[in-house]
Amino acid sequence: MTEARVDLEQIEYVDYKDVEFLKRYLNEQGKIMPRRLTGTPQKFQRKLTRAVKRARHLAMLPFVADNVR
Amino acid sequence: MPENTYEITYIVNNAISDDHIRNVIGRVAKLIEKGGGELIESDEWGAQRLAYPIAKKRTGHYVNAYFKAPGEAIARLERALSLEDDILRYLTLKMDAPMLRHYAKRKEEKAREEAEAASESAAEQEISQEQESPEEQKGPGEQKSPEEQASPDEPAESSPAPEEVQAEAPAASA
Repeated sequence: MTEARVDLEQIEYVDYKDVEFLKRYLNEQGKIMPRRLTGTPQKFQRKLTRAVKRARHLAMLPFVADNVR
Repeated sequence: MPENTYEITYIVNNAISDDHIRNVIGRVAKLIEKGGGELIESDEWGAQRLAYPIAKKRTGHYVNAYFKAPGEAIARLERALSLEDDILRYLTLKMDAPMLRHYAKRKEEKAREEAEAASESAAEQEISQEQESPEEQKGPGEQKSPEEQASPDEPAESSPAPEEVQAEAPAASA
C-alpha cells in the first residue's frame, strides 16, 4: 500500500493513450474511483483525472459504461 | 517564432475507403506543414472500436502524431480539422517537459522492445536454418538453450498426507 503510493508519487505524467492503465482506476460503470477508496496521492489523482477525460474525448474510454443491457 | 512540440490524436471516419482515409491523413499532414510545423513522428493505430458511437459510427481510424510548430498555427489547424467532415474527433496537446520526458522514455522502451524482438527473430531464423539443413548432420537439432532449460519452479510445499482415520482402527481390532 505505502509502496504503491510512493510509486504513484513518482509518476510525472499519466498518458491518456495507456487505456489499460487508466482502466485500473475506473469502476465498472466507467467512473473514476475516488481517492477515498483507492488511496492514491492527490497529485496522481489529478493527473489521472485529466488523462481519463482526454481518453473519453477520443472515445478510448466510455463516458458511461452501462453493463446492464 | 517560438516553436513548441505538440501531440495530436485524431479519429478519421472508418466507413470511407482506404484511399479516402489516406487522403485525409495526407491533408492533415499538409495542414501542419503549411502552418510552419514539422512532423516528428506519425503513427497510425488503425481501425479501433469506439467506446461510444460518434456520428453513428462504432469504429474509427486513429492517427497519433507528434510535430513541432509555432503556437499560432494550432488555432488554424484546429479550425481546419473541425471543418473536416471525415475527422470525428481530434485532440491537440502542447507537450510540456514531463510529457516530453514521458515521450522520450516510451520511445526508448519501444526501441528496446523492437531490438529484443529483432534479436529473437534472428535467433529463430538461426534455429530454422539449422533445421532446414538436416542433411549435413542427422542429429536432432533440438538442443535447448540454457534459457529454455529454466527449472520448473513448482511449489516445493508438499501437502502432508491426510492422517488415517483412526475411528476404523479400533473397529478392526474389536
